[in-house]
Amino acid sequence: MNDKTAQSFAEAYDRERPALPGADGWLARRRDAALKSFVEAGLPHRRIEEWKYTDLRQALEKAAFAPARAHEGAVVLPDTAAASAFAAIDRHVVVFVNGRYRADLSKAVRLPKGVELHSLADVLHEQWAKDLVERRFDDARQSEDIVDLNTALMRDGLALRIRKGVRLDKPLHLLFLAADDGASHTRNLILLEECAEATIFESHIGAGVAFADIVTDIALGDDARLAHVKLQDEAAGTVHLATLRSRLAAKSHLSSFTLTLGCGVSRTQSFVLFAGEGAEAHVNGAYALKATQHADQFCVIDHAVPGCTSHTLFKGVLDGASEGVFQGKVIVRPHAQKTDGRQMTHALLLSRDAAMNAKPELEIYADDVQCAHGSTVGELSRDAIFFLRSRGIPEAEARQLLVSAFLDEALDFVPHDAAREALKLLAAGWFADGEGRA
Amino acid sequence: MLEIKNLHVSVHGKEILKGIDLNIRAGEVHAIMGPNGSGKSTLSYVLSGREGYEVTEGSIRFKGRDLTELNVDERAATGIFLAFQYPIEIPGVTTMTFLKTALNAQRKARGEEELDAVRFLKLVREKAKPLNVPDEMLKRALNVGFSGGEKKRAEILQMALLEPALAVLDETDSGLDIDALKTVAEGVNALRSPERAMLVITHYQRLLDYIVPDAVHVLSGGRIVRSGGKELAHELEKSGYAAYDADAA
Repeated sequence: MNDKTAQSFAEAYDRERPALPGADGWLARRRDAALKSFVEAGLPHRRIEEWKYTDLRQALEKAAFAPARAHEGAVVLPDTAAASAFAAIDRHVVVFVNGRYRADLSKAVRLPKGVELHSLADVLHEQWAKDLVERRFDDARQSEDIVDLNTALMRDGLALRIRKGVRLDKPLHLLFLAADDGASHTRNLILLEECAEATIFESHIGAGVAFADIVTDIALGDDARLAHVKLQDEAAGTVHLATLRSRLAAKSHLSSFTLTLGCGVSRTQSFVLFAGEGAEAHVNGAYALKATQHADQFCVIDHAVPGCTSHTLFKGVLDGASEGVFQGKVIVRPHAQKTDGRQMTHALLLSRDAAMNAKPELEIYADDVQCAHGSTVGELSRDAIFFLRSRGIPEAEARQLLVSAFLDEALDFVPHDAAREALKLLAAGWFADGEGRA
Repeated sequence: MLEIKNLHVSVHGKEILKGIDLNIRAGEVHAIMGPNGSGKSTLSYVLSGREGYEVTEGSIRFKGRDLTELNVDERAATGIFLAFQYPIEIPGVTTMTFLKTALNAQRKARGEEELDAVRFLKLVREKAKPLNVPDEMLKRALNVGFSGGEKKRAEILQMALLEPALAVLDETDSGLDIDALKTVAEGVNALRSPERAMLVITHYQRLLDYIVPDAVHVLSGGRIVRSGGKELAHELEKSGYAAYDADAA
């Protein structure tokens, strides 16, 4: 192989290895093996089908990302609407700066009994953590290979375990701040046991020229419910790679929403494996891009058992010379009868230089199923703009109204009332502040 | 209120209107009738300021101002309202939100205070009731899934709320059954006032039984070929447009 960037990650691994958590146990061997696989495969390039529209290798070559150092001095949140989007909501807050947990900035107190909240290093000796880290979703191997990089270099992250029947009393907000330049490899482990319930917000912000590599491993027990709302508004020089891997036991319910506004290059991967009957997964998102931003939404839903429901809707607005990607696959295994699987993607191009690549796929091996998929790419209707203007609404306001209405159809799926309103405001603001006219 | 002199309008380089003269005073209702392709809709679009409709000669003055200097939304704020033949569907924008945005945008453009939610709601309900527009309809996305009658009632509601000085009704009767037509006509008639002018564009005389005009003009081949009183509409109903088509050719 001739992948200098992969090699530089390998060198970083050699330097960092002694300081990474879990150096003395099973994880040390797992890290070595993961690094070896990663170096052999190299960073994904565009000849790999699942990476056809996003050149991660080139994006990472541009800025040689050395591991981010611990931030020194006071931490200042960027003065942006995204940074304070969830501020008005009563919630627990856990803060990571440059990929490191900061107890001094976090506030998660008086957690209900049965809610175990730790940082990653604290749970690595526990079997459940090991199970989650070692798990693989073999139906999207090309996209999952990159998780090896995270496994080798992961430094910190959230470890949340909620015991049987326990409900997290208020949303848990994970705030990831890139205060400085550099790469941070974050691993979150979330285990909701039988009938447990939680709502998690994630926001990724920062001014640093960073590589944010986040893997979140989720396991939902029977009848467990997880609502997950993610907001990404990092700096233009940042490369964001997020992988969400969820395993759903019988009658469990996952509702995940991602709003992507920031970053030069971002890829959001979601893998859902239905492992028990009667489970339900909603994987939805919206994105608004400008200038030369590139955002890739990649999603694989594996209906491995009968009677599960999945719903995916991604809507995006593309201005300037930005590029959007949606790749989605719904797999229905031979015995997975009574599957209900839906996958839709719609994009709105606001400029002639913007581009969208959409590839929704269905692989159905069962016959008694309801599945649908679809994709549209369009532009704002001139007739609609004229109509609104003929009623006295100025052109910029008319365009904003139509763009917000378009995104709102996806944002309606944000699985938390106050968060939904917060994200709708952000999306409307994206256009109103003129950035949408780049 | 509206003075059109020797108006020539081209669309994609093709001349559609070839010298229109028309004067409408406050309080008057004028009807424009004519065969398909005579330029009726072009006249309505050029008054509203739609892109692609180029005034090549002549003038349009509205309340003493040169209308061509104003863009679409400025014209609306000045008091021009176009009721569409085919109202546009606006997915994701509720009728209520749309109405509030439009009214407040116009008030803002005129330097008036914007209405808050409470005052707006009171006003919109007051205007909606006589038009038989229920709250449920106001909560739906504008025109999306509306029947033909609902779309036209929504148009008249917009007119009632925005209180224009000049209302241009483009084939408002199309797609309506007789009951819906009556409801819409009643709505329009209720808005007739000494301060307001109306230009009713229609192919058929039927609408003019309900909205009785002060003057009728026949448009053919891009020119007004005949003007008269309301009885002209009945005459046309009997004789058809054939005679005028021949003139235009």
